[in-house]
Amino acid sequence: MYFSALLYPCILAMLSLVHGIPIHSDSLKNLVKLQADTIIIRIKDHNAELKLYPKLLIGDPELYPEVPADKPIQGLGSIMDTITTFQKVLQRLPKGRVSQIHIDLSTLLGHLKERMTSMHCTSKEPANGRALDAFLEDNATHHITVRYLALDRLKQFMQKLIVNLDQLKSC
Amino acid sequence: LFLQFHLVTLVVPSDGRGGVYEDLKWKALLCCELPFAQTLDGGLSEHPPVGQCQLLNATKPEFSKNCLDILCWLEGERTNLICNAKSYRAAAAASLLTIRPQLVVQMNVLSDETNHAAQCAGEEIAMCSISLHGNDANVSLTISISLNETTAVSPKMQVSTHHLRRPDPPVNLHYNVTIEGEVIFRWSDTQPDGYAINYEIRYSSNSSLQQWEMVKVKGRSWVTLNDLSSGIRYMVQVRCQSHFNYWSEWSQPFYFTLDVSYIPAEVFTTPGSEITVSAVFHNRSWRASKAVWMLNGQEKIPESQYRVINEQVSAVTVTVDEPGFDTLMCCHQWGERFKCIIAYAKIYTEGMFNADITCQSKNSEVDTMSCEWNKSAWAQVRLLYRQYTSMCETISEIEGSEEAEESMSLVKECPSGAGDHRECTLRNLSLFSCYKIWLEVEGGRGKVRSFPVYVLPIDCVKPSSPTVLEATTLPNKTLSVSWRRPHLPVYDMQYELRFVALRGMANTQWKVIGPLLEPQAEIQLEESCVQFEVDVRCRRLNGSGYWSDWSTSYTSVVYNRKAPEMGPDFWRIIQEDPVRSVTNVTLIIKQPVLAGDPYSCVEGLVFEHQASGRAVWSNETTLVQFHSFQWRKEAHTVTVISRNTLGISTRNRNITLLHQPKRRVVHSFSVVANASCVYLSWSLLSNHPVPQSFVIEWLDLNKDPEQDMSLTNRLQWVRVQSTSRDLSLCRRFYGSEEFTLYPVFVDGEGEPVRYTATRGDPAAYILLLIIAFLSVVLFVTLLISQNQMRKLMWKDVPNPNNCSWAKGMDFRQIDTMENLFPHSEGLTACPLLLVSESICEVEIIEKPHPVTLEHVKENEVLIYNSGDKTTTNSTLLADSSDPLSLEASTAAPTPETSGQSSVTYSTVLLSGQPSLHRKQQESLSSSSDEGNFSGNNSDISGSFPGGLWDLENHVCSDSANPRHSSSYNSVEEFSETSDQDYEASESTGVAKDLYYLEVNEEEKEEDEEEIEETQGEWEKNEMVMRVDARPLLEEKDSTAVDTNNISHSIPLYLPQFRTECINPP
Repeated sequence: MYFSALLYPCILAMLSLVHGIPIHSDSLKNLVKLQADTIIIRIKDHNAELKLYPKLLIGDPELYPEVPADKPIQGLGSIMDTITTFQKVLQRLPKGRVSQIHIDLSTLLGHLKERMTSMHCTSKEPANGRALDAFLEDNATHHITVRYLALDRLKQFMQKLIVNLDQLKSC
Repeated sequence: LFLQFHLVTLVVPSDGRGGVYEDLKWKALLCCELPFAQTLDGGLSEHPPVGQCQLLNATKPEFSKNCLDILCWLEGERTNLICNAKSYRAAAAASLLTIRPQLVVQMNVLSDETNHAAQCAGEEIAMCSISLHGNDANVSLTISISLNETTAVSPKMQVSTHHLRRPDPPVNLHYNVTIEGEVIFRWSDTQPDGYAINYEIRYSSNSSLQQWEMVKVKGRSWVTLNDLSSGIRYMVQVRCQSHFNYWSEWSQPFYFTLDVSYIPAEVFTTPGSEITVSAVFHNRSWRASKAVWMLNGQEKIPESQYRVINEQVSAVTVTVDEPGFDTLMCCHQWGERFKCIIAYAKIYTEGMFNADITCQSKNSEVDTMSCEWNKSAWAQVRLLYRQYTSMCETISEIEGSEEAEESMSLVKECPSGAGDHRECTLRNLSLFSCYKIWLEVEGGRGKVRSFPVYVLPIDCVKPSSPTVLEATTLPNKTLSVSWRRPHLPVYDMQYELRFVALRGMANTQWKVIGPLLEPQAEIQLEESCVQFEVDVRCRRLNGSGYWSDWSTSYTSVVYNRKAPEMGPDFWRIIQEDPVRSVTNVTLIIKQPVLAGDPYSCVEGLVFEHQASGRAVWSNETTLVQFHSFQWRKEAHTVTVISRNTLGISTRNRNITLLHQPKRRVVHSFSVVANASCVYLSWSLLSNHPVPQSFVIEWLDLNKDPEQDMSLTNRLQWVRVQSTSRDLSLCRRFYGSEEFTLYPVFVDGEGEPVRYTATRGDPAAYILLLIIAFLSVVLFVTLLISQNQMRKLMWKDVPNPNNCSWAKGMDFRQIDTMENLFPHSEGLTACPLLLVSESICEVEIIEKPHPVTLEHVKENEVLIYNSGDKTTTNSTLLADSSDPLSLEASTAAPTPETSGQSSVTYSTVLLSGQPSLHRKQQESLSSSSDEGNFSGNNSDISGSFPGGLWDLENHVCSDSANPRHSSSYNSVEEFSETSDQDYEASESTGVAKDLYYLEVNEEEKEEDEEEIEETQGEWEKNEMVMRVDARPLLEEKDSTAVDTNNISHSIPLYLPQFRTECINPP
């Protein structure tokens, strides 16, 4: 009798703990992968519209460091940091079809933020905020190429994210 | 003392007379003389005395007078002006501790611009505040002071608030790059002209902004910035200094990076005009000579249009033919690729471009219209529209005839604004108004726009889909459908209906019927009792418009008058599952399931099970093709019943599954197949009960088991009446199917009999027989023709006994060639084929195939013989007394080689002449190249001592060996020497007079190519032919040679070959 009296609260406590985890790790990975794939496809369609000359190379990776290029993925924090930067860039671009990618990115950020909260990770402000603003202001009149560059780098980051989904488990 | 301020805002700027501006404050010193008022009997005089006030420039007050220190300053961001007047007496009173009458100060402040006035009063001190609403203003100020009922009023003082604040920092910071690559930084002054006198510019390349470069400028609002590096983001700020030496705050930072600058960065042009744009490479490693200009990032501009201004500046001249927006990018060649940066030059070509604007409106609670368009991916556009009350035709005519200025107040913009949009939805439209819709390129100053479209929304309505769709499949093979049209728009509608049968895999194609004018339709069907999926859509009957979307699908209801009469026919498949140790039974329902009555349809099935010792249970399904269940190897009866909404069938078929041994009733069973049918026949054992029916099943071999693994899909079956003893099935059969005959009794199945079909079709055998017969006929024909050819070839060969040289010889007794030619002088030593006229015609018997030396004996005749193991060859070899017998040669042609050009040489060789042998070999090797005498396929290439074809030795070598005689046993092909070969031979000079062996007249007509192709065949066969030796360079159809050939045509005969050496005349 005493044993059962102890057992029930334990079970209830465990159930409540399980319930407290908002998104299961694997399901989050699947969701992030799905969203990243969607963003990649949208970007491909978007940049293909420009029909750029095949030999053209707009913006070397070493140029325009304000827009993340080949940035390493080191846990949720770095993912959030990079995506936030991209989101800022997209926010400053003229409205149009890129708005959908901006919405997709916001949704992805929302999921990651929720994950960070559940994992008690501390979020930090993006480091290069001022430089990014300066870059965007400097190139405000050349939004087509800025958009191309940003989306191309975002696509690369999404591709990298897909193969580093395990990084979602760490802060 | 009473102080009164009057602050008045004046429209006319004041010069601030009477005070000074200092430290962002206006300061003045006001001193007034106040005579004492005369008091009589304690009462006031009728006219109170009036004092006089004076504004002093001196900073020290006159103590003999009543002086006030006045200060004005701005509070906050130019929101309030505060003025304070304070008497010196107030300060002195505290120190002197003397009791003096109070000085009353009253201040009046008036602002004309804002109509605000403020009055404030106080003893010894007064403070007024007036609101400026953030604007500069000139404020008038009057102060009155009263003491002992004596009042003095100050002159009007004017304060300019503009001078009470710091100047605004410069704005509109930007830079230009000159064609020389100089960076000129510019800004705009917010102050009145000439107000700012000095500027300071600071810029930094460091993101931490610790190291500033400062530049001071006087009197102009631009500066040249030098020593800027490319690829670095600079931040620049400017501040200005006013006349009062106030410095403004630093301006908003301006960021720029120098990579590639375009001059001009934006071009406005007209179609067909040439424009020139220059690009300055700030990166010193980029050279103008390597510049690549791109139009819209898609098209490389030809280099002929480039111009190198200097090492860092490239220019391009282009002509844009169509109005619109284009971009120019100047990139730098980097290996195979073109490196570009973000910046690009913009070209606005004024005029109207075609944007293909199409609109589709929707008439519902809120009328909307969605428009789509095309545009350059580089252009940012805005959709503009304007509503008219006139008809669209009228407006377009008016606007087309004259360039009407657009009244911008009537123009509305798409709510989504400018951007990279390609569609826009306009809401709250009037369907019956004409709308003019067009695009404008952002930044094009309204001069780059699309052709407008004039749209009457009612003409492009896409209505809502029809609703309340109902469909019934009637027993009379009719599909009856009705629906309700959308209420709006109210014009007449036409409809389209599409339907697809739900039953049957093959009928998945939609059938479309229309246009229909009424919201109902009756469709005649090919079969009854079939459910259909039905959709309807609508559009305007007369006039333009769009089809609505298809309505929500509706599945037709099958109408029945009564329940079905009979259940379906079915068969079973029993499959053992060894893994789970269960037996699965699958029932195959014969399709289509007929109700047995024309006025009823079967909508579903009921499977009724009854196992021994267990209750009856049933499963209700739709019209399925298969039904599976597990069988426990006990007696199990399944009845399949048809059903519809009105009931179930009464005449049903059942099947009883038994595990016990089955009775055997079939005596014999045979199956014969032909191309299209199988014929099955069977007989029953006597004294056995007659089955209820027979079921014949087989596997459909046409279905690939790998693709269609399911046995239920591959198994075919047919039920036969109990009275039948044979059956003919006509369909696609392989002819090797295994057929199983099941006798079916009421209480179960009998023992099945299997038989694999055999081909009863004689066609294949007949065909084989015909082929065999034809082969035999062909073989015989070839044999006969070969024999005939042999006869033709050899009929003119004289009997050697008739030859002069052979007179008296008995060939049968000749053992060796020496015996045959006993006289060495008998062989005339004459030059063979010395000149072109010297013709030796040879008819040679050849034994082809790789030559093997049979016998090598000194001073004996060597016979080179082919490896042919034919009887003829053996005969030739065996009959050494007659090695050149006709028998041997005539046997050479075979059907394969008949008609082919080939020569077989029977060569009689003399041994013991190594030097000659060697020489001859060389000669032949050299000539073989010219005459296609391949060393590989020619026996001549073997040892050839003193051969007849020693063409280098134009002198007969018979002197050395009078009995020089050679036997060639070789297969050679003869073809004309090609020109190239000839030239090669000329150059090498190896061959002097080249001869070749010519084939017979009929054979030499054959193509060389054909000869080469059949070369392989020739090598394997003995050939008999005449050869003609003549100079290779001579024309083939030389008449002289032909005449010679004819006149000296000698039958193939070895002794004649040796002796028939014709000397030239």
